[in-house]
Amino acid sequence: MCTGSPSSNDSQSEEANATTEQQQQPEQEATEQPIRTPTHAIVAAAKAEEILAEYGSNLKLLECNSQVSELLTIIRDKNTTRSDFKFYADRLIRLVIEESLNQLPYTDCDVETPTGAIYEGLKYRSGNCGVSIIRSGEAMEQGLRDCCRSIRIGKILVESDANTHEARVVYARFPDDIGSRQVLLMYPIMSTGNTVLQAVNVLREHGVPEKCIILSNLFCTPVAARTVVNAFPQLKILTSELHPVAPNHFGQKYFGTD
Amino acid sequence: MSSITFLCSKSNGNNNHSDVQRGKPASAFTSASASVAVAAAAASGLLTIAVQPQQQSKVKAAAAVAKTNGHIDDRSDVTEPLYVDPYADLGNGNIGGGDILFCCPASPTTVPTKTALESPMRRAGRRQRTTSIGNQTTTANPSECIIRANNRTIYTAGRPPWYNCAGQQVEPFVIGICGGSASGKTTVAEKIIESLDVPWVTLLSMDCFYKILNEKQHEQALINEYNFDHPDAFDIELLIDVLTKLKEGRKVEVPVYNFVTHGRETHTKTMYGANVIIFEGILTFHSPEVLRLLDMKIFVDTDPDIRLARRLKRDISQRGRDLRGVLKQYLNMVKPSYANYIAPTMAHADIIVPRGGENKVAIHLIVQHVHTQLQLRGFKLRETLANSYKDQPMPHSLHLLDPTPQIKGLHTFIRCRNTSRDEFIFYSKRLIRLVIEYALSLFPFKMTTVETPQGVLYEGKRMASRKICGVSILRAGETMEQAVCDVCKDIRIGKILIQTNLKTGEPELYYLRLPKDIKDYKVILMDATVATGAAAMMAIRVLLDHDVPEDNIILASLLMAEIGVHSIAYAFPKVKIVTSALDPEINSKFYVIPGIGNFGDRYFGTEPSDDY
Repeated sequence: MCTGSPSSNDSQSEEANATTEQQQQPEQEATEQPIRTPTHAIVAAAKAEEILAEYGSNLKLLECNSQVSELLTIIRDKNTTRSDFKFYADRLIRLVIEESLNQLPYTDCDVETPTGAIYEGLKYRSGNCGVSIIRSGEAMEQGLRDCCRSIRIGKILVESDANTHEARVVYARFPDDIGSRQVLLMYPIMSTGNTVLQAVNVLREHGVPEKCIILSNLFCTPVAARTVVNAFPQLKILTSELHPVAPNHFGQKYFGTD
Repeated sequence: MSSITFLCSKSNGNNNHSDVQRGKPASAFTSASASVAVAAAAASGLLTIAVQPQQQSKVKAAAAVAKTNGHIDDRSDVTEPLYVDPYADLGNGNIGGGDILFCCPASPTTVPTKTALESPMRRAGRRQRTTSIGNQTTTANPSECIIRANNRTIYTAGRPPWYNCAGQQVEPFVIGICGGSASGKTTVAEKIIESLDVPWVTLLSMDCFYKILNEKQHEQALINEYNFDHPDAFDIELLIDVLTKLKEGRKVEVPVYNFVTHGRETHTKTMYGANVIIFEGILTFHSPEVLRLLDMKIFVDTDPDIRLARRLKRDISQRGRDLRGVLKQYLNMVKPSYANYIAPTMAHADIIVPRGGENKVAIHLIVQHVHTQLQLRGFKLRETLANSYKDQPMPHSLHLLDPTPQIKGLHTFIRCRNTSRDEFIFYSKRLIRLVIEYALSLFPFKMTTVETPQGVLYEGKRMASRKICGVSILRAGETMEQAVCDVCKDIRIGKILIQTNLKTGEPELYYLRLPKDIKDYKVILMDATVATGAAAMMAIRVLLDHDVPEDNIILASLLMAEIGVHSIAYAFPKVKIVTSALDPEINSKFYVIPGIGNFGDRYFGTEPSDDY
């Protein structure tokens, strides 16, 4: 579906680096002319091959069909109304959650159908839980609830210091036996990855092995992806888009506090 | 004059009584306009039927007038929805005209049923009938699926396939009935419909095709000097167009002629789907093009004296005209026209029926012939479908969802016979959501650039057209509606009811209600399971008949059998087929193996106690 020539890939990544730098200096960026970023499709094409090589097999992208592209476009559009924003964000969250659940372990299971025939199916192991990072991670809780009705959900509050930009955990509440569960960590926007690093650290302190954590994410920057993958190579990450500019307004627009 | 009473069996007598009583107070205020209404109604030729005691007819007409004069509201909450006034929308009231949906009557007759379909009780009646089919009672007793009029019966069993297994149309059988004014053409048509016992008959009257009169002609008409019996009074081109389309099985808009203004009403009558079309009028055989469209030509030959007597009686008592005017019109126009244009066309007739509707032998012969013809055209669709296309590669139009562990896991839940209904509904909803999301991604998208709050431009995609509508195949397809509404804001939903006739094993069309301009929409057609594909093919055929382009249709389903996919792809190669799982076989009862069982029954909790 997504195509791109090798030569265009090179230019893409250069451009990507350029925009990343600007993104780290938000004050400057605001005054500048809007920059034409590479199309989503081409970015994805570049990444699809690169991801394995660069980030390893534990970073997965949601299959980028036109419908997903449309959802991303609507969420990023600054002219989208709040009601539309929430509606389409919820749709995208649902897709990401469904895909994240695919990463959970399962066993084979044959069942008899009403027609008397045997269907060779599979069964998920019980003992999963969700953990959302306050506040934007909570936007994804409903999506998880819609898929797993009675799943336990823990919460982590991570605050970043206004001066040093250092993230630190100020609150965490988990099910008692979280150490023995598969954990679905929910956080929609990653621009630096620092918040997620802190959250994963807390989970590990509570005895959750790195390989049992699945990070569900909507928008991820290459920088953040690199940071997280370097720090936790066994962590599974699922995102819908790797793009140098993260839509940082997500939480504010979703909850209406902008 | 009689009104058509729509109801699913038996209790019609009572309803009419109550109706008459309700009409009475209103009758006081317009006896003059009552007769106008009668004239309009009668002459427009929608359904003018047997003569009844005059008193009652006047009262009824008054009721109709009352309605069109704004007395609609008090009727709408009355729990008497069974009475449908066929004339209600002849007046200016235009009940239901603002409705964005239109409906094609499931009943083949041309009775306008807008109001009827709004009423809850009527729906309940239908629903019951549907259920009873599931319980194998209805087909055993054909009288269950009858709609009764005051003095006639219309059969509204489901419509069997009207296309072959390549999805192509089989032409309906067209009967033309010609005869002089007041010769009993309509009565003959009624009798044929009654004794034919065939579903989906459309009655089309030539009166709908009178030309629009200009002011001068209008004045002439008022003093009985406009010749309504001359061939030039009819819009033959429009007639040919409508008849040709009907014969092709397409949806048509038939004009409604107003005999007071001598113009066409702004609204039209939608006709769709007939196995037999009966076309009646005084000059039915006049145009050679029309003659070519007729499969059987009947001339009703009634003695001129009797015709004049009937005409006098009808025009004076029901249309409020005077003896002198009627006679003048008869002698100057009706009689010469009959001699010049109508009588000579008798030569084209296959059958000449003397004495009109009372001629039982003639009617019997006609009905027998039609039956033979219909049998020659009919076929067993489902079996043909089930036995073809073995061991062929899957078609390109099939889009199967990635068999991820989640999808397999969901299938495990909903396929297991021991899953509780609560879980069945929950997990099938999740699966449906995934199917619909996937189906949406198959529509055309265009590139677009948007500005982001971060100050950079973002190149993404938007759907090329926002005009999407969902059409569900009742009953199991209904379960997918919620998911479509969840992913598309304010989406329009159409419905098609197709049930399997348990006697023949064939699918039959019972009911359909689609967005008005559906041809401009991309359509997601939904059915939970597809076995032979017979029902889905029927639904696609319906959409095509409503001028939806084939490549605008996506058929979305949870589970399909390979044969079904082959059949649909063969008949309609441009229709995209989306499903979350593909099963290899179907059993002798046309259930998919291993399958889900009867999805609708399990979802709605209507499983029969004895299992498969």
